[in-house]
Amino acid sequence: MKPHKKTTISQKMLFFISLAAIIAISGISDTATAAEKVNYRLKWLFNTSVVGDLYADVHQFFAKQDLKVAVKEGGPERDAIRELEMGRAQFGVASADQVIRALSKGAQVVVIAQLFQINPLQWMYRTDKMTINSLADLKGQTLGVTFGGNDEAILRTLLAKASLTEKDVDLFSVRYDYTPFLQKKVNFWPVYRNSQAVFLGAKLRQAGESFDFFIPGDYGVRFVANSVVTSKKMLDTKPETVRKFTVALLQGWQASMNVANNDTAIKTLQKYDKDSTVETLQEQLDITRGLIHPDPNVPIGMIDMAAWKQTEQIMLTQKLIPAPVSVEKVLRPIPKY
Amino acid sequence: MLLHRRIYQFFIIYCLAVACLFLIKFGLNLSDYVIPGPMDVWHTGIREFTRYFSDVMDTLMVAVIGQVISIFMALLVGITGRRATWFGSFIKVAAYNVQAYPIVAIAPIIFILLGDGIVTRLIIAAMICYFPVLLSVLGIMSEPVNDIEHFYRATGRMRWQLEVKIRAFENLNKLTTVIAGSATLAVAGTIVAEFIAANAGIGYSIRIALYQSDLAKILTALFLIGITLSLYQGVLELTGYLIKKGWATRV
Repeated sequence: MKPHKKTTISQKMLFFISLAAIIAISGISDTATAAEKVNYRLKWLFNTSVVGDLYADVHQFFAKQDLKVAVKEGGPERDAIRELEMGRAQFGVASADQVIRALSKGAQVVVIAQLFQINPLQWMYRTDKMTINSLADLKGQTLGVTFGGNDEAILRTLLAKASLTEKDVDLFSVRYDYTPFLQKKVNFWPVYRNSQAVFLGAKLRQAGESFDFFIPGDYGVRFVANSVVTSKKMLDTKPETVRKFTVALLQGWQASMNVANNDTAIKTLQKYDKDSTVETLQEQLDITRGLIHPDPNVPIGMIDMAAWKQTEQIMLTQKLIPAPVSVEKVLRPIPKY
Repeated sequence: MLLHRRIYQFFIIYCLAVACLFLIKFGLNLSDYVIPGPMDVWHTGIREFTRYFSDVMDTLMVAVIGQVISIFMALLVGITGRRATWFGSFIKVAAYNVQAYPIVAIAPIIFILLGDGIVTRLIIAAMICYFPVLLSVLGIMSEPVNDIEHFYRATGRMRWQLEVKIRAFENLNKLTTVIAGSATLAVAGTIVAEFIAANAGIGYSIRIALYQSDLAKILTALFLIGITLSLYQGVLELTGYLIKKGWATRV
């Protein structure tokens, strides 16, 4: 009996020593690898428009900056700026009109990078049904528009530029389904160039139809699209975290847009977008490159101050905001990456 | 009396909900972008009242017609399928199964087939409130009122019309409650339809307000929807009460 008791005591001691050692080691390793946790709320669902965000996450760009980033899918019911204020996210993607509306309502938000240099929101039109060489060519046409959406503000600005009123055109209310466009009830339809336009284009090509794109920027309307935002409080209290996040994110975007990394970018997308074929993803990625990095001399993420001011002016003219918000005051220069 | 009670009860609920929102807003020091301030809500309410009221009336009109169609259909099918026959059981199974499909998945298909006019809104409104009404009608109509029905059966004077009348009269309170409750579903169905694809109605206006992240407009819309629905339900309950009183006098 005695030797057995001794064994039991020494076993117990060994167990407690091992437990203490495990706790100590795990504590040390935890301190050594403690990465700051932040939430990043995207504007839309996981698709090619967020390839750089996903790339930065999957290929450890955030981890290299000692950040543990939870990249969260967006959607129509999500609003990154609201989540920043509620403390549910530390970074987010918002469209310029969202930022300007939020500023107009007193939100403390700052823009730390501009993802799209060219707004992907454009119009697809059938070239056999209409010819557009100037804005005046829109007269008498049925034009698809999402009432309340960005495209309404853009289209109304374009019409005003051409001295056209609502009476000169027929505005057709656009919804989730493309049936009116596919049935040729409307031949001028707003699309996101790097996502919906790829699917619609394929259908039109299958049907032997010819089409082109109406790009508002070609007529001098540069309404800013998605940008990366954070709260002023975050920037004031944790400027280093903001810098590290921006650097990692833009490095991720740069790598994903690099043609040399094409296959890796496609594989990254396939992990999240399981419904699209490789061909579709490839076409979307090629178009996205042209929207994110159209000018090799301009770094990805650069904030286009003039375009932001124009966006604010458009919203002011159309009474979408009651007074100027001086948006330039919340635009932060991007760090070197 | 019923109308009066409905309205003040709605006011209490609405005011409590809005007060909670303001408490959260001021407690967490949130900007007007997240939750609008009281003055913002007030000014938006005044500014948008006429337009939104007209939208709510448009929605209500569609909802009422949709509800009438669904009640008529539910009564027709419920009376036909009240017996424990194969057809009666088939109707019940179909009702349970179709009710399980989310309308947001079916609505776009209806819009693609029928366009975004009033017919589509009517169908969706009717679809949403039809099945709960049908299930209640089936439940009521398939349950015999033995105390009364026994006499007519024993004397050989029972006809199907009389059977339906007896069961409807004995369960008039239940039927009134179901019909008044289905008004909520009809309005909700119409709003869902408008939100998804229509060009008119308060659901369409709410969608635009959401695009513009304008919660003050949504609170205004909710107030008008709530007050209108309370009035409508009050009218339905009153009608049920008057019908029962009229029947009782005739009997």
